[in-house]
Amino acid sequence: MEGLSYAWHAVSSMPVLAAACGGVLWGILGGALPGVSPSIAMALLLPFTYSLPPLVAVVLLASVYVGAEYGGSIPAILIRTPGTNSAAATTIDGYAMHLQGRGGEALGLSLVGGTIGGLFGLILLTTLTESLANLALLFTPPAYFAMGILGISVIASLSEGALLKGLIAGVLGMMIATVGTDPISGVSRFTFGDPNLLEGIHFILIMLGIFALSELMVQAGESRWREGAVSEAGKATLKLPSLKTLWRLRRAQGIGCALGAVEGAIPGAGGSVAAFLSYNEARRWSKEPEKFGHGSEEGVIAPETANNVVSATALVPTLSFGIPGSNSTAILLGGFLIHGLQPGPLLFTSNPEIVYGLFGGLFTANLLMFLLGMVILGPCIWLVKRPKPYLMAAIFGLVVSGVYSIDHSLFDLWIVLAAGIVGYVMRVLGFPHLPLILGLVLGYMIESNYRRALLMTNGDHIVFLQDNVSLGLLTCAALVIGVSAVREIRRWRKPLVIALPQAQ
Amino acid sequence: MRGTLITAILLFIFAVVFWFAADAIPKSQLGGTVGADGLPKLLAIALGVLSAGLIVQSLLAMKAAGPAVPAEPKRRSGNIARHLWAAGMIAIGAVYLIVVPYLGYMLSVGLLLLTVALYNGKRPSFGLLLFAALGAGFFYLMFVRLLDVPLPAGFWPALVG
Repeated sequence: MEGLSYAWHAVSSMPVLAAACGGVLWGILGGALPGVSPSIAMALLLPFTYSLPPLVAVVLLASVYVGAEYGGSIPAILIRTPGTNSAAATTIDGYAMHLQGRGGEALGLSLVGGTIGGLFGLILLTTLTESLANLALLFTPPAYFAMGILGISVIASLSEGALLKGLIAGVLGMMIATVGTDPISGVSRFTFGDPNLLEGIHFILIMLGIFALSELMVQAGESRWREGAVSEAGKATLKLPSLKTLWRLRRAQGIGCALGAVEGAIPGAGGSVAAFLSYNEARRWSKEPEKFGHGSEEGVIAPETANNVVSATALVPTLSFGIPGSNSTAILLGGFLIHGLQPGPLLFTSNPEIVYGLFGGLFTANLLMFLLGMVILGPCIWLVKRPKPYLMAAIFGLVVSGVYSIDHSLFDLWIVLAAGIVGYVMRVLGFPHLPLILGLVLGYMIESNYRRALLMTNGDHIVFLQDNVSLGLLTCAALVIGVSAVREIRRWRKPLVIALPQAQ
Repeated sequence: MRGTLITAILLFIFAVVFWFAADAIPKSQLGGTVGADGLPKLLAIALGVLSAGLIVQSLLAMKAAGPAVPAEPKRRSGNIARHLWAAGMIAIGAVYLIVVPYLGYMLSVGLLLLTVALYNGKRPSFGLLLFAALGAGFFYLMFVRLLDVPLPAGFWPALVG
């Protein structure tokens, strides 16, 4: 009941409502722009959240995530270019429907499916998070350290065929987190006498460089935009599905809800995996599988429901354990940390108004997504048709202005440029970004618990094996890395076996 | 593969340098049993081991792939051009950072918008100038007026007196 009261208080507060509305609007527009992922849309807003009250800031960021999942389907359906990774599955049947003159219908299915998925995910989030968080109350400093290590290991192991690169990225992230004044002894580390580095390197700067700037660099290096190239978005009028249609599509929605729930809670899986799995399963269980790929309504609603469920359930590990499982939730975690809030079990007792307020804000955001989604289609089509160079220039302008507004320091901007180079080099060489970001945001938590744990045994590392939870988590981390390593070695051997007869 | 190998060697060297830099962190009685250098040293060792693993992996991959076939010169030069073009965005950002204290925020951000759009394929036109001017005005109003961010004013105040 207390939780409901906090949620109601948040929902009825004007700043939270405005944040949910602004976040959804920004998210839909950002998601609609190919190249601006939900995480980039969120990262661009991060500097603005500094001056906002904590609840308003986190609701704003979470609402961007909600809006971007729908926004991504707009160009996927209209121009066959997914605005977000998770909208890629929608492209198949959404665009086919658009070619048949049913683009408005596809957009309606995406919007309604997304809203249903978002609300379903929210129910799971509210019911699962607190019970999982209670479990985390059993955690001691060694267990927290082990949890951080497990989080980075899981994310690194998901780096397809690049386990070592993923782990290296995680270690590099933690190394960046050690720059600045040591919070325990007050000794400065790796500052080279520069006062700008005494407070450390803020993760916002790295996030903006790694996500936004490296994306601008990649787009600049890609094929040149040609003057006169017009986007073929065409015209579409949103057409909402009737209740009868929705009832007919209930199986596809159910599949989207179930798979979105599971995939969202698994770190690293994310919306795109959930969307493609739902698409496949919806086809498998469909009475009209032959329609898939040729404008199937089920082929649109299943992935769209799934990726919006993920936008809520992806918050479960973030809020329960303080371990984000995706780029977007890592940025949301950053939004919490900026305001001195550490997501995890203690947040439910120390700041219940934030947690339940966020749930209330997400509920509002999902409803607003439905309402705004109906009216924003025109501006989105207009935006999608803008020349790419204008969009890139506007993003660059927003990055340099937003970063300066954090600490009024040009030095921070140099760090963003450097992080952009690092992000670009990582992309070129196939190093995943997420482990680095995770190492960066979890670095402080890992180090403080590492040192606290060692205080218990006067520096003896046996403490991590004596604590049952820590031992269990570290074993899991070792297993995750071990299994990934074995899988990687097997993948390596395969081409050799095929290659030998060819060589003979 | 060669790029990965070179990166792995550089990372290994970085791990060694990081270890020595961590070792040079002043010791403090307040640092506890581990000290401020504890985790950084552990990270340096981890990076060293992982990058050594990556070196071995790259060497094995190169061996398995057989004698290196040089990439087509056209494709290689295309790749270099792509990276240089991407690096150009950083150069634009660096120039912005150098000029903004002198030219002031509004003019600099307008020039930034203009340059980035031109650099990415937009032809010079009145529309482009309008975009840069309106964009600079929008950013100025949002950050300086609305959010009260003291962005660099440049030489303008001195000029006005």
